[in-house]
Amino acid sequence: MDGNILLVEDDPSIREVTAIGLRTAGFDVTTAADGQEGLERFRGAPFDLLLLDVMLPRMDGLELCRAVRRTSTVPIVMLTARGDTIDVVVGLEAGADDYVKKPFEVPELVARVRAALRRVQREAAEPDRLRLGALTIDTAGRTVERDGRDIALTRTEFDLLVELTRRPGQVMTRDILLDRVWGYDYMGDSRLVDVAMQRLRAKIERDPSSPELVLTVRGAGYKSVR
Amino acid sequence: MRGIRARLTLTLIALVVLTTLVLGLGSYLFVDQSLHERFRDDAAAQARVDFQVLIPSRNLPPNPTRTDLEELGLLAAFRQRPDTDTIVDIGDGDPTVAAFLGRFSARLLALVESGELAYEWTSVTGRPELVVAGRLPPAGPAFYFVHDASSIEQALATLRIALTAGGIVLALVAVLAARWVARGVLLPVDAAARAAERIERGDLGARVPVASRDEFGDWAERFNRMADTLQDTISRLEAAQAQNRRFVSDVSHELRTPLTALVAEASILREHLDALPPDARRTGELLVADVARLRTLVDELMELSRFDAAAERVALEPVDLGSLVRRIAATRAPDADVAVPDAPLVVRTEPRRLERIVSNLVDNAAEHAPGSPVQVRVRSRAPWAYVEVLDRGPGVPAERLDRIFDRFYKVDPSRTGGSSGLGLAIAAEHAAVLGGDLRAFNRAEGGLRIALRLPVTEPLPGREAAATGGYDRGPPIPSTQESPS
Repeated sequence: MDGNILLVEDDPSIREVTAIGLRTAGFDVTTAADGQEGLERFRGAPFDLLLLDVMLPRMDGLELCRAVRRTSTVPIVMLTARGDTIDVVVGLEAGADDYVKKPFEVPELVARVRAALRRVQREAAEPDRLRLGALTIDTAGRTVERDGRDIALTRTEFDLLVELTRRPGQVMTRDILLDRVWGYDYMGDSRLVDVAMQRLRAKIERDPSSPELVLTVRGAGYKSVR
Repeated sequence: MRGIRARLTLTLIALVVLTTLVLGLGSYLFVDQSLHERFRDDAAAQARVDFQVLIPSRNLPPNPTRTDLEELGLLAAFRQRPDTDTIVDIGDGDPTVAAFLGRFSARLLALVESGELAYEWTSVTGRPELVVAGRLPPAGPAFYFVHDASSIEQALATLRIALTAGGIVLALVAVLAARWVARGVLLPVDAAARAAERIERGDLGARVPVASRDEFGDWAERFNRMADTLQDTISRLEAAQAQNRRFVSDVSHELRTPLTALVAEASILREHLDALPPDARRTGELLVADVARLRTLVDELMELSRFDAAAERVALEPVDLGSLVRRIAATRAPDADVAVPDAPLVVRTEPRRLERIVSNLVDNAAEHAPGSPVQVRVRSRAPWAYVEVLDRGPGVPAERLDRIFDRFYKVDPSRTGGSSGLGLAIAAEHAAVLGGDLRAFNRAEGGLRIALRLPVTEPLPGREAAATGGYDRGPPIPSTQESPS
């Protein structure tokens, strides 16, 4: 088995065909038709990844995502009907790691799911202690401290910070960050990087409007200070 | 409008001034005449009393001498009269008397000679005087009573001053009254002008106050009815348009769920086409292609309905147009012949939208001129930068050039190519959002040239001053650092 996936989607056709596609790709798939059922299934058994539709009856996908995040760091990929920046922002704020825009092709979805799962496996591999300005980053414990106080980052924000901190002063393009952090090996949506960066800055910078730790390089990407 | 106000004011003032002049002059002449008549009648009455009572009572001898007159006290009695001199001609040729008489008219002297009581207005001593004269019958001495008439002149002078002053006051009052009246008359016109101006600016609720039951009132009511109809029609049209757009938006949203299922299903089917018998395989291939086509159509409809909802937000950033277009062309049209300036050409724009525009233009060129090379050019002419896509296709009849940016417009309706007919419409909407526009031209050598025009907001290469387009006149951001938007 490649992984155990919980798929929450209200439309029967989409649910069925997605499940077929994921199973064909080697995943174990459990399905739920609404948010409430999804939450019950999540509590009933351990999963390696959650695929959540945003618009769901009874409890919508964002709410379900928040509920799951309270107890778990399991990778969550949202299925959004619209690719608007607003939806991306709201999804990431609810704690999602990635999103797939509807309509999607099943191979594309499978690739994103694999990428999200790979990140989890990769994380354990490189324990390290990094410093960025006043921040201390512990990659093994996945914690960030400033002045002895913990800063709570989501998985994506943490990975983004580590990726930039490992190469101080080096410009990282959005595409490289998409590849390294989200595991995209094809053209992705660079707004994902910008939105995540904005949220990261809000947590780690003393003044997010004039960042000192991670700087924007106009027309290129981002870099961390040396 | 100023013309009418001025004409109305002037007419009213002229009327008042004319009336004042006629009345003033008339009353002056009347007073003048009555004063003179009364003075003359009084003097004549006095003279009659003199001739009939006073002089006969002194029992003058026939042909009296000056001494007789003096001794009988007659001259003394006359001398006591105020403002009156008396000249007595006793026919003795006295030179002093003759000098006086020479100043009277011959007609007066002749009337006195014939025994009549006569009068004449004169000024023997340099002041206005009335001479009343007669002689004692049958050929006695002639008496000339010379009355000082200065009092009349003084009274008339006072009257003239009073009338002039009155006239001036009246004229001033007339000016004020005329302005007030003109304003009153033109008030509804001003109100109507203001209402029309508000409607012109798009405030369709503007109305003219109906303040009176006169022609203006009728007119105002008619104007308001017209405005009602206009407002009604426009709001109906707007509602219909909004409904139409909502319908398109709803339809594309409703299509999205089955479309998502279709796309996912087709993507799985595609993997297994080889396992199907030939007929089913071909059908499957067609199905996969048609799902892709449907997906494009729904995507584009949704994109357009977002423009209609004015839900577009732009995040402009400075971009080197040349290298961006080169990058877009490399991925979207690798075969295209790309020409960009060597020097950087910086525009403030949104790369995603620019990519959408350029790829739609390139797709359009590839579709309408299949097999011929597509050219992409970037050039600038302050304050604009241009991205042009040129093809060698059949071009578009000149009269339809403007319409190719309409939704679902197809130059040749019989063609049922892969495109939805929305690509250029979408490109034009994006261009407008970026502060530019799209225009199409037929090339002299055949084929179509579509030019995207974008405002240049950063200094053009080789120029000192910033050449700015009309949209964003903010100063160029000097450093490469920026905070996130």
